[in-house]
Amino acid sequence: MPRIQTKCFDELEYSPDAVCEFPYGIPGFEAEHAFVFLEQPATHPLMFMQSLHRPDVCFILLPVQAADRHYELCLSEENLFALRLPADSQPRIGKDVLCGAMVCAPDDQRPHPTVNLFAPIVVNLKQKIGIQAIQTEYSPRHPLISQDRQEELVACS
Amino acid sequence: MLVMRRRAGESLLIGEAIEIEVLEIFGTRVKLGIAAPDSVVIQRKEIKIARDENITAARSVRQQNISSFLNQVASQPAGAPVKNLTDASILTTKCT
Repeated sequence: MPRIQTKCFDELEYSPDAVCEFPYGIPGFEAEHAFVFLEQPATHPLMFMQSLHRPDVCFILLPVQAADRHYELCLSEENLFALRLPADSQPRIGKDVLCGAMVCAPDDQRPHPTVNLFAPIVVNLKQKIGIQAIQTEYSPRHPLISQDRQEELVACS
Repeated sequence: MLVMRRRAGESLLIGEAIEIEVLEIFGTRVKLGIAAPDSVVIQRKEIKIARDENITAARSVRQQNISSFLNQVASQPAGAPVKNLTDASILTTKCT
C-alpha cells in the first residue's frame, strides 16, 4: 500500500482507489490535482481533504447539511459535465456526491469560525472526480454555529 | 455604484485603457468582451472569493482550531442532525 504524509495525522497508508482527482485544482491551489479525504471517529463530523503531493495543503470540511440542514446543491451544466454526472438532474448529496464546506478559523475579518457554503467541494463518489462548485445563493462565511447559540455559549462560559 | 444601461453591441470605457463590450444577451446571461492592458488582472469575482477563503481555510488547519470547531459543532442544539458526508468507507482512508 502506498503511504501519504498528512498535515494532521502523520503518515498513513492509503488505497489508490481512495484518491480523488481534481482536474482543475481549486482556486488558490490550482496545481493540486489529487486529494484524499480522511476521517477519524474523534473528529467526526469534520473531514480532512488532504493533498496527495503536498503534506502542508489540507482543508477541514464540514458536510454542508450539518451547517445548513436545508442546503440544496444547484450545479451548473458545466459543473455537472466536469463531474461526469448526467446533465438532466441534480446529484443527491451523500449518495451520488460528497459535498463538504471548508471551515475557517476566526481572524481579523471574522470574529467566529465560518463555513464556506458559497464554494463547496463536490466529489462524484463513483468516478472520484471533484471540483469546487460555486453556489451563489449561499454565503462564503456562514457561521459555524448560529448567532443565538454563540451568545448562549458565551453566556455559559 | 454607477449604473448604466447598455444594449448588445454597445461598450463602456473605464479610464483610457479598459473597454468592456456587451457582446450578447440571452435570457439571464450576458456575454462580455473585455479589452485591458496585460497588467490588469481580470477574474470572476466568485473565483476571487473562493481563492481568498481557500487560503484562509488552509491556514486554519491547526490542532487547537480543530478542537474548537469540534466543540462548536458538537454543541449544535438537539434537532439539528449532523449527517455523515457519505458512505465514507468507499471514499476515505480511515485514520485510526
